[in-house]
Amino acid sequence: MQNIKAIFLKPYSKYVWIGIMLIAWEAIAKLTPVSPLAFPSLEAVVAALINSILTGDILLQMLFSLGLIFVGLVIGVLLSFVMSALSVVSPVFESFVDTCVSIFHPLPGIALLPLIILWIGTGSKAILFIIVHSVLWPMILNMTAGFKSIPVVYKKIGQNYEFSNAKIIFKIYIPASMPYLIAGLKIGWARAWRASISAEMIFGASGGIGGIGWYIFNKRVFMDTAGIFAGLLVIIVVGMLVEDFIFSKIEDRTVKKWGLS
Amino acid sequence: MKRFGIILSLLCLVWITGCTATKNDSQEKVIRIAEQYGIAYAPVQIMKDQGILEKNYPGIQVIWEQMSNTTAIREAMVSNKLDVGFMAIPPFLIGWDNGMDWKIATGLSSVPTGLVAKDEIQSLQDIENDDRIALPQPGSVQHILLAMACKKEFNDPKKMDNLLVTLSHPDGMTALLAGNEITAHFTSTPYREAELATTGYHEILTGEEAFGGDFSFIVGVTTKKLHDENPEVYKAFNQSVEEAILFINENPEEAAEILTKYYDLSKEDILKYLTAEDTEYSATVKGIKNFSDFMNETDYLKKSYTSIEEVVWENTDYAEY
Repeated sequence: MQNIKAIFLKPYSKYVWIGIMLIAWEAIAKLTPVSPLAFPSLEAVVAALINSILTGDILLQMLFSLGLIFVGLVIGVLLSFVMSALSVVSPVFESFVDTCVSIFHPLPGIALLPLIILWIGTGSKAILFIIVHSVLWPMILNMTAGFKSIPVVYKKIGQNYEFSNAKIIFKIYIPASMPYLIAGLKIGWARAWRASISAEMIFGASGGIGGIGWYIFNKRVFMDTAGIFAGLLVIIVVGMLVEDFIFSKIEDRTVKKWGLS
Repeated sequence: MKRFGIILSLLCLVWITGCTATKNDSQEKVIRIAEQYGIAYAPVQIMKDQGILEKNYPGIQVIWEQMSNTTAIREAMVSNKLDVGFMAIPPFLIGWDNGMDWKIATGLSSVPTGLVAKDEIQSLQDIENDDRIALPQPGSVQHILLAMACKKEFNDPKKMDNLLVTLSHPDGMTALLAGNEITAHFTSTPYREAELATTGYHEILTGEEAFGGDFSFIVGVTTKKLHDENPEVYKAFNQSVEEAILFINENPEEAAEILTKYYDLSKEDILKYLTAEDTEYSATVKGIKNFSDFMNETDYLKKSYTSIEEVVWENTDYAEY
């Protein structure tokens, strides 16, 4: 019993859980009378995935989506950094940013679609706009919350050393609020994914071959349920790789090293 | 706070009763039909408004489900939430190809459909890689017609598959007229007419040209479950569609008057569309073989049918060329 419990406390416990879920999946697909159109077996999903990799553009489409998300994230992070930093410095700007957040944060990007078609069109720029919109506001919320959590005395120490505003932000605020910034980045990354997938499903192959959302949408309209799951699988794998290899590395080098978490 | 709690629990109650209301008593015969709007679906609205099905099968409970597109209807029929759906032949064939237990019960309508483009685009040849074509979705009848035209013109049916943008008819019209990347829109009545009435836009391909003849634009499809388990209901449904079609063909004025309740169009406009030369309401299914063979040849389908009975129910009228 103790041994079994120990398995789930190991770093690889994630993969044990995934294994259990896959077995449950296969059991449902094989042993219950579900339609393969609604619940395809694992073999069918893997076959669809291999087929898409060999004959289709799924990897290129994935790269296309990742590229859009990356650009959207960078723009979103820069904009939110500028806005949060300015609101730290100026109370007037802070009230402006607060107003913007309360207006735009609850608006789903997809709800703005009809306007985006009119103003920007339906290409990659429109998808990018939706990504930036969905990343920006939660990012600002996290950054300002992080900045506000810093004890006043830190800022005063900076002022004592006659630091400029910029120096206070870069040398004190950012390192001290790093856990918030990383959490914001994770939320932004997840939001960017959702935004780009839903926008691609609607706007189609905006960049020639389109992204992974377009792939899934095509599988849906041609009733290839195994193909839909293949697309989802690719998204999950990329999400886990980014979590394990990028975010955890950033955390190791910053908050863990500095003893903040 | 207490008042808030009361309101919240009342809301929950409304929500729960709202859910149970759609559950049906096992005694009563029920038919669940997907309701869609548009000139091509006019007989469906007539059938609903005039209570034709209720008249032909007294005591039946007809549940009209609002559905936004063919894919949603198909998915609802897979999960046994719907008995009847109206759609074009290609989406039906895609479902059939993937093992759905359904067949065509009746034809419904043929309406003008075509590719409307900006004036600077004179033909399919002028559509370049930067251009974008809006249509309801891949696998739709508009997409397959475009593929048919591309095969004739370039011998490459998938030539434009990566230029497609999935937009509903109204959004597609907005995008085309807004003048951004969308340079062409494959659409049908009444959006086609509205776009053609705008200066700077013209039609470069009609559905008939692409198909090479006449075809049913919308057909009625029912599940095997309805057909086998409730043959009486199935029969009443088919009879009702025929009566609704007859009603429109015999009393177009009255039909147009009724339809003003459902469509945001004037009676004159509706009458014009109902009686247009290329608009035809008919229970005969036309063009299925042509669609099936083409989609099979071009890999949109994995197989074509060998006997018509695989795709239409017995007693369904169909015409082949």
